[in-house]
Order: sequence, then structure tokens, then C-alpha cells
Amino acid sequence: MKFVAVTACPTGIAHTYMAAEALKIKAEELGYDLKVETRGSVGAEDELTPEDIAGADAVIVAADAQVPMDRFNGKKLIEVPVADAIKDPESLFKKASAAPVYGKSLQDSVDEIKSERSSERKGVYKHLMTGVSFMIPFVVAGGLLIAFSFIFGIEAFKEEGTLAAALMTIGGGSAFALMIPILSGYIAFSIADRPGLVPGMVGGMLAASANSGFLGGIIAGFLAGYVAKAIRDNVKLPKSMAGLMPVLVIPVFSTLIVGLVMIYVVGKPVGAINTSMNEFLKSMSGTNSIILGLLLGLMMAFDMGGPINKAAYAFGVSTLVAGATSPIMAAVMAAGMTPPLGIALATTLFSKKFTAQEHEAGKAAWAMGISFITEGAIPFAAADPLRVIPSIMVGSAVTGALSMLFNCGLAVPHGGIFVLFIPNAVSNLAMYIVSIAAGVGATAAMLFVTKKDIA
Amino acid sequence: MITSVFTEELMIKELKASSKADVIKEMVEVLNANGKLSDKEAYLNAVVKREEEFSTGIGMGVAIPHGKSSGVKEPAVVFARSQAGVDYESMDGAPAHLFFMIAVPDAANDEHLKILSSLSRKLMHANVREALMAATTYDEVIEIIK
Repeated sequence: MKFVAVTACPTGIAHTYMAAEALKIKAEELGYDLKVETRGSVGAEDELTPEDIAGADAVIVAADAQVPMDRFNGKKLIEVPVADAIKDPESLFKKASAAPVYGKSLQDSVDEIKSERSSERKGVYKHLMTGVSFMIPFVVAGGLLIAFSFIFGIEAFKEEGTLAAALMTIGGGSAFALMIPILSGYIAFSIADRPGLVPGMVGGMLAASANSGFLGGIIAGFLAGYVAKAIRDNVKLPKSMAGLMPVLVIPVFSTLIVGLVMIYVVGKPVGAINTSMNEFLKSMSGTNSIILGLLLGLMMAFDMGGPINKAAYAFGVSTLVAGATSPIMAAVMAAGMTPPLGIALATTLFSKKFTAQEHEAGKAAWAMGISFITEGAIPFAAADPLRVIPSIMVGSAVTGALSMLFNCGLAVPHGGIFVLFIPNAVSNLAMYIVSIAAGVGATAAMLFVTKKDIA
Repeated sequence: MITSVFTEELMIKELKASSKADVIKEMVEVLNANGKLSDKEAYLNAVVKREEEFSTGIGMGVAIPHGKSSGVKEPAVVFARSQAGVDYESMDGAPAHLFFMIAVPDAANDEHLKILSSLSRKLMHANVREALMAATTYDEVIEIIK
């Protein structure tokens, strides 16, 4: 059992502290976890943080003086004279654990307990959602600005000094570059509060620069959050130096630890994955083209911009020969368009399965999907990887395999829907569109089956 | 340091008083005799008023009459004992044997307040109370509560 308590008395010299001590002694005896805020003449000491209160099973207020109470809304709470805590601390723990919820009616408190239970189960999910909700605007802004640049022509951004190039720098070079650091940073923030932000964002930056993609970013976020929390909770400096914790000790050491792990442990395999995937794909190119298309589809969807996706994309680009269409490039692009489109379709059709924020992100995902910006699917995948990633992999695999089956071809490395209107850029255009549509439908169907309604 | 507020002169090894009101007066007198008070009446009134709100006889044989008053020159603690025990209207109804009188000026610094708060905390431990009952000299008392 975890308790928090507040003690206070009119003079604030003796009873406040005796009550606090009496509660502590008893808690230790009974094996309870207890933090006591004393509000004496020195002011509030050991002040309860929102995290302390959130983590407590019940609250004991033993006070003969005013105590700020709003923060205890929704917690089981008893209020007694300060003397009671000195006289009979044991009974206070018993009463508090059976106390009604403060500031709420009984029905509210029943609902509260129910939702508390379900939210506790979703601790990891909650951290992911925090990261994702901060990331979504970056993905939307970046993705749409990149799409705008394609309006000037697929390759227009390569011309320096043009508006298309500027849009690409803003969207691709900046907003997208921040996407993974923001995801990691706010996952860590959700776990460790402010101390998590620095190691989280730096770890995310390293995940992005080492090409471990958003999955590396999620690892960085959780790692940073728990490292920062562990340092904050376990490193005790003498009081005179306690001020160094938030500005020096926690940021420097947590960032050091997370950074080294990202580079030497998480980053290491990424390069290897990339090379081995390339070798593997080359060895596949002579065999059954439908299986190759299926594999490329799985890879494009798996990590959306991570090492596996990049390997597949690079393989596609390597098959391009000037002036000719490549079936492999066609399969790669189609499979990269499917994930955001399939998710967008699912948010439209099965609105109960997505949050309000995801509905908005879903609208932007349409635009990103048709522009071959696979990253549009990342917020959804990061929020619920175990359901979303398999769903989009199935869809992309269907698309990749069909595109190969119909022997569709593509002559350019990028551009999404915009290239479909360019003469000779795509061969077997009608079936190409059918392949994409089939994968989109498959992804949406998978999401319908796997994702639960939001209560 | 506790010695900054509690000196040897402020220890009463055995109280003469046998009633609550007399205990308070006897202890206030010691504070006054040692120059800790600028206005004896004002401080006495603060202590009595505090007792009226709620007895500081916290049970377990301990009482901690205290007051914050402009009549106090500097923070001080008087420690007194009564082997016989005094009816101090304690919470548990049992007689009090250990008395800590705490005097705090209106504008006390945090350092002193912290010393006093840690003294209050110590008194909640049974082993501290037992040791205080058995202590015979000032040095022993300091050893227990420092």
C-alpha cells in the first residue's frame, strides 16, 4: 500500500512534525510506503508532487490548519485533527484505505476506480500516446509541405533556390527531422517528467541520425524515461548540492547513458541489417517476382523510414535504368503508399477505433499516402505497434505482390500519385492503381479486425 | 545544533511543580531567568493559549508546551522531568514525565525552526523517551536528542 499524508498545526512548531514522525514510524512497522508533507512554520517541506499523489492509494490529512486540498480530488482521503495522527496512527491507515473519494460523489468514485484500473494497465500505452500526440503535428506539417513541393514536379525540389526546394527543406529537412526526437522526448517526458525530455530528445535524434527509424526512437524514449527516472529517484545528493540535480546531474548522466546505448547497442545492428537486407534482396531478384514483391511490401511497411524500409527503397532505386520502367521500383513505391492510405481509409470507415486526434491525423494521412510519404503512418504505428504494423505489412505485401504479378513498372524513384499522370512514367497504369487499392483495402480490413473500439 | 537552543541552564532535572499550570510557570521562569524572554507575560499567555486550543500533552508521558511570541528574544528549549508525573490533560489520560518547552520569537529563522521540528520528531520514538527518563546529566540528554 502507498500512502501520502499532510500534517499541519496552528503554531507549526511541534505537532506537525510529531504527527509526521508518528505516521512514518507506524508505516514502517506495517510495511507501507509513505510520504509526508509537513506544513509547519518553516513552510511546506517534502511537498507532495502530483506524481506522489497519483501513485498513492489513499491520502491522510492530519491538520488543524488550512491545507490545500484541490490536488487530492479523486483520491481516497480522510481528514482528522493532527492529534489523531500522534495518538493512533495505525487506525488512520485503515480508515484512509476504506475512505470515500475526496471531491467526488460515490458514483463518480466507482467510475473513477474503474477507469483507474484500465489506465494502470495501459502505462506503457500511455507513454507511447503522449509521445505520439506531440509527434503528430510534426508529421502532418512536414508531410503536407513535402507534398506541396511535389506539386511543382517530383524532382523540382532538387533545383536549389526554388520554392519547391524551400518546401522540401522545411518539411523534409526540418519538420521530419524533428519527428523522431519529439516522439522519443515525449515518451520519456511521460515517464520521468521534465528530466526525461533531454535524454529522450537526444536519444531520438541519435535514432534518427543512425537510421534506426521510429522503432529506434521508441526504444530511445523508453530507455531515456526510465534512466532519467532512476537517476532522479535513486541519486541522493547532500541538500546543499540538491540544486545541481535538475540542471547538471540528471541531464548529463541520463543523456550520456542513453546516447552511448543508442550508438553502441541499438545503432550497431542497424548498419548490419541494412547491408544484409541488400544482399538478401539481390539474391532474391532472380527468383519468383511475386514473392519478391511481397517481401518488398513487408519491408516497406515494417519500419516506415527505418533501416529495413530504406534497404527496400534503395534496392528499388538501384533497379532503375534511365528511360525504362522497373517493376521492382513500381512495387516499392506502391507498397510505400499503401500504409498511410490504408490507415486513412480505416479512420474514415471505423471511426470508433481511433481517437479524435487520430481522425485529424487520418485526413493528413490521405495526402501523405498519395504522395508516397510512408511516414504518414508512423503516428498510428507508434501508438499501437503490435496491431498497426502487422496490418500495414499485410496491405503492403498484397500491393507489392500484385504490382509484380501485373508486371506494372515505374520509371522514376518518387512522386506518388503525381507521376501517374506523366506519360510513360508508369506502365500498366490501370492495374497499378488496382494493386494499390487492393493493399489499401487489405490494411483497412486488418485494422478493422485487430483494433478494438475505444471505450 | 540543538545546543544552540538548549543549554545546560535550561534543564530542570526534577520539577517541583505538581500541576499543569505550575509546570508551565516553573519552566517559563527558567527561560526568563536565563534571559530568553523580553516579555514574560506575553510568552506565558501564548503558551497557555496554545494549551487551551488543545493540550500539548501528547501522551506516552510527553508534553511539549510551546509558544511563538514577540515576548521571546531568541529561540530556546527547556527540558524538564518529573519522576512522579504530572496530570497534564494528556491525550491518553496518563501522567506526563517528560516536558519540552519550546519558545520561538515571532521572527525565527528557519534553522532554529528545523532544530525544533527534528526534536519533535525524535520524541515520537519510544527508545528516545526511555533514554530521556533514564538520563542523569545534561550531556547525556544532548547525546540522546542531538
